[in-house]
Amino acid sequence: MSSVPPFLIFLAGALVVPLLRRVPMVRAAWLLLIPVAGALNLWGLPEGYQLQYEFLGYTLTPVRTVDRLSLLFGYLFHLAAFIGIVYSLHLGKGDRPSVQYASAVVYAGSGLGAVFAGDFITLFVFWELLGVSSVFLIWARRTPRAIAAGMRYLIVHVGSGVVLLAGAMVHAHGTGSLDFGQMELRGLAAWLVFLAFGVKAAFPLLHTWLVDAYPEGTPTGTVFLSTFTTKTAVYALARGFPGEEYLIYIGAAMACFPIFYAVIENDLRRTLSYSMINQIGFMVCGIGVGSTLAINGVVAQVFNHVIFKQLLFMSMGAVMFVTGKTRASDLGGLWRSMPWTTAFCIVGAASISAVPLFNGFVSKSMIMSSLLEGHHYWVWPFMLLASAGVVEHAGIKIPYFAFFAHDSGIRTREAPLNMLLAMGIGAAVCLGIGIWPDLLYGLLPYPVDYEPYTYTHVLTQIQLLCFAIGAVAAFHLWKLYPAEIPSVNLDVDWVYRRGAARVTRWTGSVVAAVDGVFRERVLDTVDRTLRGAFRTHGPRGILARTWPAGSMVLWVSILLAAFLFLQFL
Amino acid sequence: MSEQRPNSVPPPWAGRILAGLFALCAIVLVWDFFVDRKVHHPFEEWPVMYPLFGFAGISLLILAAKGLRRLVMRREDYYDDE
Repeated sequence: MSSVPPFLIFLAGALVVPLLRRVPMVRAAWLLLIPVAGALNLWGLPEGYQLQYEFLGYTLTPVRTVDRLSLLFGYLFHLAAFIGIVYSLHLGKGDRPSVQYASAVVYAGSGLGAVFAGDFITLFVFWELLGVSSVFLIWARRTPRAIAAGMRYLIVHVGSGVVLLAGAMVHAHGTGSLDFGQMELRGLAAWLVFLAFGVKAAFPLLHTWLVDAYPEGTPTGTVFLSTFTTKTAVYALARGFPGEEYLIYIGAAMACFPIFYAVIENDLRRTLSYSMINQIGFMVCGIGVGSTLAINGVVAQVFNHVIFKQLLFMSMGAVMFVTGKTRASDLGGLWRSMPWTTAFCIVGAASISAVPLFNGFVSKSMIMSSLLEGHHYWVWPFMLLASAGVVEHAGIKIPYFAFFAHDSGIRTREAPLNMLLAMGIGAAVCLGIGIWPDLLYGLLPYPVDYEPYTYTHVLTQIQLLCFAIGAVAAFHLWKLYPAEIPSVNLDVDWVYRRGAARVTRWTGSVVAAVDGVFRERVLDTVDRTLRGAFRTHGPRGILARTWPAGSMVLWVSILLAAFLFLQFL
Repeated sequence: MSEQRPNSVPPPWAGRILAGLFALCAIVLVWDFFVDRKVHHPFEEWPVMYPLFGFAGISLLILAAKGLRRLVMRREDYYDDE
């Protein structure tokens, strides 16, 4: 079989999806075939495969020479797309399946296109397509909140693409090349590219699109959303800025601040969204360290994170699908009705918490160890706190409030078979990699000289986990744990959702006031001028009077007499 | 916006799970004194550093989050009139 660019199979496959809407079984088979065919194509790519051509004097590289970094992301995106498609197979007429399926497949293809892009123009095209295709997974929910959140999401992502394009243009102007590779964070071009990557990676202060939009997606759509956008950005940072020291501190901030929000967030899918930023923080921090251990750790963490985060979003999506609810305050006690979903959620929670024998344990510790190897002693405690925070919000809070806690009285059915199957695949991968980490380590960019299952590591991790969980349990027993309250928590998006509106209103009122005073003064001046003119030129004005000829002669005589007098002086 | 919901009835096995958890905490705490851990960070040399960090970290996190809630929590329809 001759090889084709990895993204092409997805984009071409998506074109066929709407044509199969009257034959759902064929459509399901076709959808499942797309990632399978894509993975086989990727596996069969010949050594040194590359796609390159000249365009307007520039060399474009739509597919870079495939290396282990892009290859692992490629396989991961195929696996994630497959799991997401299995999870979505139940979509019925009311769910706008053609829209959701086609946009999900284009979205996955865009992620692949960006990962294999060797030049800025190709990267820009797929960067924009990621945003444009994925927004339909939010809009497909069709609630006013989803439509508004989708619009904000779209504006942010199109904006990010524009910034990337500006950076690419400055870069091309300066270097004469559009090739995308490692950059130094110096000069306007590099900063613009860094900013564009930062928006999609949800850097602090640029992160609110994620927690705003992801919880508003459809139950199935958010499973796709959680995979491609942010991981493409992590890939781009790992490709463009490995070892950039700022990333260590940005990553540490990303890992730490969301854990506070996650404790008090009532919407469990929004809690998972904050958790995503926390997890991406670990990756960004590792990219900043930049050593071979750190980059291996980042790539391993990306792989594991996609699987366990999908699993957690799938379990919450299943809850949302059967109950219509995702708020902690509305849920509880669902383990009776949804035992399988409960079990899969617990596997995801254990994985993200880095419990030994689950996949998070074998990857997060690589990043933590790389921090110590790189002597970043002051960052390490913050990352350890962030690790403990994960246990609290994703390890305990998510399964506890959804499936246990107070019995909400909801008695429902288990999730559909395809959802359970998808969650089962995810859970099996979490456990498989946790038990046999070499399966993943063998695919990492650099040779791995790291053993996760050392006596010290296992013991200290169990100590950290037990006492973190013990603290949560103690706060529950002491009735000091923040209760689930229907509410929203203000975040940076307040600035443009409320603050900007208030500034606009205030500016409007100030302008109106100044305008009012100015107009009043001007009108007053005009009025006085008119009245003055009226006095002199009006019907009774002195200059408008009809003077008799005798008066004029008298005045002329007086003037002549005055001249005569002055002449004699 | 009540702080605790009235129908808070824990499942029958919750007590056993909690007892198991606290027992495990005690075991791994004591274990710490009987092993020679391989450490990389100065903090790691402190006895029971990981248990202490886990408990104190989460306690501070929860208390800080409660403080944050006072600052940022608004009613659920806060943004609905956009």
